[in-house]
Amino acid sequence: MSQVVFSTWGGEFIDNRGKSSEEWGQSAFKLPETYTADRRSKAFIGWDGVAIFQEDVDAVRLATEYAAQYQVYSEACGRCAPGRWGGRILYDLLDKIARGEGTHEDVAHLREVSQTMMLTSKCEIGKTVPKPILDLMEHYKEEFETCINSKKPSKHYGQEIDYIAKVTAPCTDMCPAHVDIPAYIEGVRDMLFGDSLAATRQTMPLAHTCGRVCPHPCEDACRRTNLDEPIAIMELKRLGADYETDHSMGWFHPYQPKPLRNDGKKVAIIGAGPAGLTAAYYLALEGIQVDIFEELPVLGGEVAVGVPEYRMPIDKYNKDIELVTSMEAVTVYTNHRVDAERLKEIDAEYDATLLAFGTRLSKKVYAENERADMEGYWGAIAMLDKVNLWSKYGIGSPASNELAGKTVVCVGGGFTSMDVVRCSVREGAKKVYMLYRRDEKTIIANTTYEEYHEAVEEGVEFIFYSAVERIYDEDNKLTKLLVNKFELVPDPNGGRAQLVKIEGGDIEIDCDYLIPAVSQAADLQILPKDWNLELTSWNTLLTNGKDYMTSRPGLFAAGDCEYGPMTIVNAVGQAKRAASVIGRYIYEGKVSLTDDEIMEDHLQKLKVYNKKEKITGWMPGIARANSEKLGVDERIDNNKEVNLGFTGEEALAEAERCMRCYYISMVAV
Amino acid sequence: MSARITTKNELTITIDGKVCHGIQGDTILQIARANSIYIPTMCYLTKVQPIASCRMCVVNVEGVDGMILSCQEKAVDGAVITTHNEALYKERQNIMKLYNVNHPLECGVCDKSGECDLQNKTMEFAVASQSFTARDMHRPVENWGFISYDPALCIMCEKCVHVCNEVVGDNILAISVGGYKSTIINTRPGEECSSCGECMSVCPVGALVSTDFKYTSNAWELQKIPSSCAHCSSACSLSYEVKHSGIGNHEKKIYRVTNNYEFTSLCGAGRFGYDFANTGAKRDRALFTSAVEALKKAEVIRFGATITNEEASILQHIKESYGTALVCDEARGYQKFLEAYSSVSGKSLYSGSLKNLSKSRGIIVLGSKINDDNPMVKYHITMASRRERARVVYMHPIEDAAMQSIVTQFIKYEAGSEEGAAALLAKTLIDTKKVPSEIAAYLDDLDIGNLSAESNIGEDELEKLSKSLIKKSGFTLVAGSDLYNHPRAESIAKLLAAIELYGDFELILVPPATNALGVSLICDLDEDKDGYSVGYNAPGDFVLSAMGSGDIDMPALNQQEGTLTSVDKRVVPINAALAYDGYTLNNLACGLGVEAKYTIDYTEHLPVVKGYEAVAFDDLPDYFDASGNEHRGYLLHSLDAEQTGTLEEVADLPTYDGGVVYQCNSGNQFTSFTNKSKKLGTDDKLRGSQQFATLSKLNDGQKVRFEINGVVYERVFMIDTSMKGTIAINPYADMGLSSTTVSYYRFNQPKLEVMDS
Repeated sequence: MSQVVFSTWGGEFIDNRGKSSEEWGQSAFKLPETYTADRRSKAFIGWDGVAIFQEDVDAVRLATEYAAQYQVYSEACGRCAPGRWGGRILYDLLDKIARGEGTHEDVAHLREVSQTMMLTSKCEIGKTVPKPILDLMEHYKEEFETCINSKKPSKHYGQEIDYIAKVTAPCTDMCPAHVDIPAYIEGVRDMLFGDSLAATRQTMPLAHTCGRVCPHPCEDACRRTNLDEPIAIMELKRLGADYETDHSMGWFHPYQPKPLRNDGKKVAIIGAGPAGLTAAYYLALEGIQVDIFEELPVLGGEVAVGVPEYRMPIDKYNKDIELVTSMEAVTVYTNHRVDAERLKEIDAEYDATLLAFGTRLSKKVYAENERADMEGYWGAIAMLDKVNLWSKYGIGSPASNELAGKTVVCVGGGFTSMDVVRCSVREGAKKVYMLYRRDEKTIIANTTYEEYHEAVEEGVEFIFYSAVERIYDEDNKLTKLLVNKFELVPDPNGGRAQLVKIEGGDIEIDCDYLIPAVSQAADLQILPKDWNLELTSWNTLLTNGKDYMTSRPGLFAAGDCEYGPMTIVNAVGQAKRAASVIGRYIYEGKVSLTDDEIMEDHLQKLKVYNKKEKITGWMPGIARANSEKLGVDERIDNNKEVNLGFTGEEALAEAERCMRCYYISMVAV
Repeated sequence: MSARITTKNELTITIDGKVCHGIQGDTILQIARANSIYIPTMCYLTKVQPIASCRMCVVNVEGVDGMILSCQEKAVDGAVITTHNEALYKERQNIMKLYNVNHPLECGVCDKSGECDLQNKTMEFAVASQSFTARDMHRPVENWGFISYDPALCIMCEKCVHVCNEVVGDNILAISVGGYKSTIINTRPGEECSSCGECMSVCPVGALVSTDFKYTSNAWELQKIPSSCAHCSSACSLSYEVKHSGIGNHEKKIYRVTNNYEFTSLCGAGRFGYDFANTGAKRDRALFTSAVEALKKAEVIRFGATITNEEASILQHIKESYGTALVCDEARGYQKFLEAYSSVSGKSLYSGSLKNLSKSRGIIVLGSKINDDNPMVKYHITMASRRERARVVYMHPIEDAAMQSIVTQFIKYEAGSEEGAAALLAKTLIDTKKVPSEIAAYLDDLDIGNLSAESNIGEDELEKLSKSLIKKSGFTLVAGSDLYNHPRAESIAKLLAAIELYGDFELILVPPATNALGVSLICDLDEDKDGYSVGYNAPGDFVLSAMGSGDIDMPALNQQEGTLTSVDKRVVPINAALAYDGYTLNNLACGLGVEAKYTIDYTEHLPVVKGYEAVAFDDLPDYFDASGNEHRGYLLHSLDAEQTGTLEEVADLPTYDGGVVYQCNSGNQFTSFTNKSKKLGTDDKLRGSQQFATLSKLNDGQKVRFEINGVVYERVFMIDTSMKGTIAINPYADMGLSSTTVSYYRFNQPKLEVMDS
């Protein structure tokens, strides 16, 4: 709900002009009424309408500035005839009116060119820019008439007003790393794969990784869903990354890395996982010296030692890592465990420190007789460490020594548990069970359709609505589990359905291993007690979720150790923002956000994607491309990558389905 | 309901009331064009992916709100489409009005006037006045080699950028995005552009024009002579455009070459190297008599392969009548190679085609510097790379920087080890479980360790190759000129045949000269021998020359009619663009009693037993249909051959220590005819890396003398920083008649003698 003078946002129509305050209607949307705590917004204008927050707004100037932003941002588009010329004409005509030189004929031409842009433009920017302008021309008609009839500039013409604009897209907005998705898809469509990769890397350095194992929340905000099926956004990311790797053409950076500043400023990063690598990359691009401290002998964090080879081949991940370590400004220290003492030293030595150590403690399933020292009780993180260190690096010994011919029960429901059961199959387990408290639909929602179905194909038995009540052992060796079964009982009062234990429904499972993969926790021993750092209620580091500084000045946190166990792309998004804040903090001594970041947060609150929107101008019923996968027999006993990726033909067809839903939004402050 | 049986790939849509059929994946525009339904476009170019910048092709689809982009949107079964109505007309008209905003009114002097899409569509949509305006800006003209770019005339359709990246593979032109300020930019002006002129040919307006042609003629004054390019074995479709030379000179001159750019491409030699006619030839009876006499007494006729099928046929008839030996160095090795290939494959012709090559998902290039040897083959590899994400494995002793964005794996082998490389490939690509036992036994017996060590191809490289081709169909193996005169050529040919037969590969054996395939099929070639000789574009005691350098003139390939046999195994027609007043080979043959009224009388008598058809020259089609299907001449028939060949034991591989010289023309040079063309410039330097210079004790700019196969070269040595390794590149297209005497292996180790400067 927002307080507005006038709004056409999202199809609403609110006009409080000349009404008494009791009569005022409110906007149903979370519009950016206040830009920052100390700055009120005058107006907000964008793809879906216009909202005026203060009576005194100059509507003609607002429309003109919005058209001007289209010119400024045209490097994001300007690739079609109606958009390129139309956008220019739109601005020229509006500015002509605003400066007091316009005619009524200009208004007619404005309407005509707007119509052509809305009907025929290539991307949504061209299609949507005229909309709020036409709204203003209609509902603030008298202001336009005054300019034309009296041949005078509009009321605030030439005055200092901040107009802050941002280009976004529904997918970009939904992506925690705010990847410029339409741009990298356009790179694929144009077969300029280097451009595609450079576009991805503006905010996402791990292109191989997030082209393979991202749960792609963006696809849930893909406007194409409103028409038929979402674009295979994630997989199209692979093409740019593969191109760079296949052709050894050097690194495609989003911009030429700045030379190392050598000004004595330096940043420490604790942990070389996705968050640590991302922050290091963006600081290094700016020429800021970064030292990364990693506890393990290998780089990459959980994606290296957690995500299995068949989903994320290490030679590909190593390319993402190499991108970061190849930067002149980055130094890496492996086998370097940071404890509370060491963190104090680092904190004293460096201008800022980013904690990015993840969550590497497996949580318990809370069953009776659950003891970590019981033989056969094996935490998911430790189990996956063993599997991956051996299969990817030859460190340690094969997990098949433990698992071959054995019965394995995993308790989970997320990606980690999927990795556990599918790795167990590959390590030769005789029988693998997955116990999950909820149903099939939920496990798919929490992971992906492909993950679940591939696990089923590989012979994993899923037992839904189940939980371990008791663990049995003989001489401290795990022997079997007592498992409760539940059912979902709807609340007769219409509330949330409750899981209720089925009496007499218990089952027993004889097994050799119980691998809990319910969740992970951050290892907080690293934090010096006397710093008294503020924590969240789930024992991760507390920040405001915008600038990622902890309660201790100069100490930042990003990724799972801040958010709790979450996705790679979430860690990347947080770390990218943290790097930006740190880059200013070490020089200015205070945290700040750029206008772009402030707008990013406003838009996220407002929500860019509208699942009810009706799509026009696109042919419905064009199926989403499906990449080739290895058959069960080809993959079940080895670590070959299951998804072979798109063929060129499939990738192009898929890229051509993308509707380029770029939008411009602008706040007047 | 249609009575037609539809498979799941087929679909039916209705366009403007007409029921049209297509297949899944076809765009609305493709189906419309195939059914002769007109939808206006400004940026659509059939040979590249839809560009989608002009938006003119919007249509209405029943039940779908808004306007649908027909060039990019795929047809959905059952869709009902309207391509013309008032609303669509209005938007298209508005787009034309936008295109005309600030477009300079200089049609009077613009080269494109008369064949300009902007002019045509402005008329079509009756844009008589300008209701939209925008502030104009200064946009200076730029010169890019053969081409100049005028951004003020540019409508930003992006066709040029697409062909440069998607077809040619240079990826040099790019869009400088900036809304109204957008322009096309040359990202690497200068040497890296292959100067093919493809960008210019697809430009719908006068923005990209030939610097050379600029202001020389109005388009409508030129007469188009459809023909095929004479410079390499791709024999691409083109038109010579001619008109009188000047006010005082009514003799016709070729002003430019154009092509059916919508569907086909040309390289720079084809487009700019058209001035190779043998002008000024006259008929001199005495000379004629001495030429006939020379042919009568000749024991050998030595000739180059840049001749027509008909001329080859005449030579074969002379041989049959007079027992003269026919020696064609450019084709003999290839002919023997083809024979050896057939003895294992059981077919007279290789299976691959350029079209399938461009749709391949895995490509291996062996034994050719393909970017220079045959640009059109390289273009098709580029298309596969860009559109199909083809894995492209480039096996050659020299790494080619121009192929970097296309090649996914470079496998360097030692010069001379081609047989070993072919054997290793066979071992890697053929699954021994699925082949006859003797083939399996042969492969199992190969000493991989030794072959790998000798050729310097690592087993890890082969493993990477095999891994990169996993579970994908659509493979093509492209083999080239390094192999045909290799001492172990026949063994290599058999190994390639085995890969084609048992490895699920299509094979293209790129002919080493313009009509090497035609000559190989038509002529019964002999080994060279001593005795009185007549040379035809080749050295001899009496020389017939289309280069103007012999004892008697012959017409060049843009001065005569006939056919060529292309790499695509297609028999394509050439036509005379310019007059020729001298004698032809047919005239001389008539003097010998080998009678035919015209050279093209031989067309319908080309040997059917070799796969030719009995079709008269005037009955050969020469056009592309609305969907871009080629109807040009006909395709050769591949005939069954006896499978008498067996794979041979790999011979001990020769080794080359020290500097090596590779015979290779580059920079749009192929033959003495391209060398004759003034527009192309000359490639006459010995180029090598710094490493080669050090090894051979040469300095940049030094003049060296060396001899290869009896031909003495005096070359300025140039260090090429894009090159690596110990192999230098030596062109030979500038060597006149002796440039056709290439009967030897391309890698040599001549003694390099530094000359006094």
